[in-house]
Amino acid sequence: MLKKGDIILVALLLVAAVTAIAGMTMFRSNSGDTEKIAVIKQGNVILKEIRLNEVGKSERITVEGNYKNIILVENRKIRFEESTCPDKVCVKTGWLTNEGDMAVCLPNQVMVKIEGVNMDVDGVTY
Amino acid sequence: MKKVNVKKMVLLAVLISQALVLSIIESWIPLPMPVPVPGIKLGLANIVSIIVIVYFGYREALAVVLIRCLLTSFFSGGITVFLFSIAGGILSTIVMSFLYKKFSNVFSIIGISISGAVMHNMGQIVMAVIVMKDIAVLGYLPVLVIAGIVTGLLVGIAANLLIKGLEKSKMTL
Repeated sequence: MLKKGDIILVALLLVAAVTAIAGMTMFRSNSGDTEKIAVIKQGNVILKEIRLNEVGKSERITVEGNYKNIILVENRKIRFEESTCPDKVCVKTGWLTNEGDMAVCLPNQVMVKIEGVNMDVDGVTY
Repeated sequence: MKKVNVKKMVLLAVLISQALVLSIIESWIPLPMPVPVPGIKLGLANIVSIIVIVYFGYREALAVVLIRCLLTSFFSGGITVFLFSIAGGILSTIVMSFLYKKFSNVFSIIGISISGAVMHNMGQIVMAVIVMKDIAVLGYLPVLVIAGIVTGLLVGIAANLLIKGLEKSKMTL
């Protein structure tokens, strides 16, 4: 039933995918001590940038679009808390805490990601 | 006047409606996902695409995918979902047709299905990069490739059984 090409194809795809995952994991753990900034984007519009280390009280941000997302920000973490979209992948992603973490609600075109900035860089806009 | 092949038209219409039903059914099946990644689906409708590629050809397959995506977005989703499914659907149909036509000696239906599923996910990610205007979305690609291997394998096995059944029944499409 299976032919030679099938096995080679699967092997190549697996090697490529696993290498990419390993590479990304290593890149992430090497990022060290940086200030973490959560960026909330809808399409190519940046709605909000939040310094996660400086969040005192938890805050809820509502993003409207084709659907409605409620994003919850707490000290050093951020997540999609609720969404009216069909698949709710954004909510299932859970808390984002590390640089490089991201959660996306494609139906609403909303993305939350954490970017790291070196402490000595200034000029971060809110 | 151009002669209309009624039999072919009816068969394709039936296949489109089957693809439509399959894509509605699969939205009821919860997938065990170790990592929540947008865009992972079983891709049951791809069984129909493979059948159309094998028994009709790439033009018919593209038409079926186009109409199926259009109709699915009417039933659920809307314009964003349509953009994603059409990008994935067209890319995977082109690649699967090409592999079936030129490399059937190298790849079985299962291999063709796997490459179709992987290309479907890649097309979606490319569309996600365009919609979100953010290259970071590409970070989902490795997980989507692995998901495509698994779902493509299952869909390929199903399509293979279906083709064998059709051959056995001596039914001509």
